Amino acid sequence: MINELLLQFAQWMEAQEYSQMLVAGYYSYSWLEATHVLTLMVSIGSLFIIDLRMLGLIMPDVSASTIAARLHKPMIIGFAIMFATGALLVYAKPVETIQSLWFRIKMFLLLLAFINALIFNARLKAADGSWDMDPVAPKAIRIGAMISLTLWCGVVTLGRYIPYDWVDCTNTNNTTILWAAGCVEQLNAL
Amino acid sequence: MLGSLFSQYARTLLVAAALLFIVLVEALGMREAVYPSLLPFFTWMRESSWLGVIGTTYGSIYATVEAVHLLSMAVLGGTVLATDLRLLGVIFKDVPSETLVTGTYKCFKIALLMAILTGIFCAAGVGDKVYYMQVFWVKMLALLAASCFMLFIKQPLLTSRPHIEINPWSIRLLAITSILIWFTVAAAGRWIGFS
Amino acid sequence: MNENGKLDDKTIAAVSSAAIILGALIYYWIGEGQSTVELLELAYGSLKFFNNPLVF
Repeated sequence: MINELLLQFAQWMEAQEYSQMLVAGYYSYSWLEATHVLTLMVSIGSLFIIDLRMLGLIMPDVSASTIAARLHKPMIIGFAIMFATGALLVYAKPVETIQSLWFRIKMFLLLLAFINALIFNARLKAADGSWDMDPVAPKAIRIGAMISLTLWCGVVTLGRYIPYDWVDCTNTNNTTILWAAGCVEQLNAL
Repeated sequence: MLGSLFSQYARTLLVAAALLFIVLVEALGMREAVYPSLLPFFTWMRESSWLGVIGTTYGSIYATVEAVHLLSMAVLGGTVLATDLRLLGVIFKDVPSETLVTGTYKCFKIALLMAILTGIFCAAGVGDKVYYMQVFWVKMLALLAASCFMLFIKQPLLTSRPHIEINPWSIRLLAITSILIWFTVAAAGRWIGFS
Repeated sequence: MNENGKLDDKTIAAVSSAAIILGALIYYWIGEGQSTVELLELAYGSLKFFNNPLVF
């Protein structure tokens, strides 16, 4: 049911002029994708420095809260650009993307990463700051940082998988994969 | 006299020698002469070397290494931006710039090493394609210049003395050059995929 | 500058190589920008990032 709705929504987007223009333009799609990938240096770059600081692997002589606070703004700007360009990339190739297994797992990991970030920030705020100058953060925060690093590595890896066609709807007969990827037509034909 | 001049200005003279080398390579047509002889190496990388064989046989391994390459780029770019934006006085205003310059360096070096190692694997898998791409050579040249600039020019100066003793415009020039050259390396790299 | 007020090796090397690299990069990107503008003008008749929706 939800797969049918998603497909209809994707087909509606794909029929729009601007969606087709983004793909058909000489450079528009490449520029979008290049911006999406290069902004990793701002978003993930800032985030990983914060996470690595919590684990004591970078700048242990600067207080953890200072690193987290000073890099917060660049990180948010980076993620805002990632989100905007990412949304446009989906808009440019909606059916292909929405029926991509990798894209779906990526969105799931993004959701987990977002929840983890909320818990991480709450723990950071609740902490009394007595460890702020310690080279390594307390265990609860270290675990949060490690989960964050793992999830984001997964997000980037799955993002890199999206253009590959290994498990595209037309390349597999595995019903579980077809269902997970939302390949409505192929499932109905089986 | 010459000996003391060399020992006193070794770094500057090496920069001048590198520049002279580039000018000579271009003026004497050495680049055009050497270029065809590189093709067998790139073909061998793709068709016969272990890297090329693995990269072209297992698409999933290739894509995963590409992802590690991107993650290394993200960490490298993150440390470069954090340090250079501090040198430009944009972020981390309450942390001494010396702390950032030394604190991010190890992480930068590891990320650079990872990016180069994964990059060799990625290039090997498409060796006979990248050989013909201008943007690939632009990236290699920019990468070489960026690495030398970072390791032998920028870092030695910025760790040699407190930054207050360095002309602020020199520091700004170093920071802007560093951001732009690493951006060029990354952007040219992304463009290899589109070419 | 060192304690004698003279420009030292590291500073000269840094400033000169940064100026050369920055100059080369600006030259490269301006060239890229010009060729991109030319290509887009050739493709669309005027400078547009993508096709005009009205004539697409």
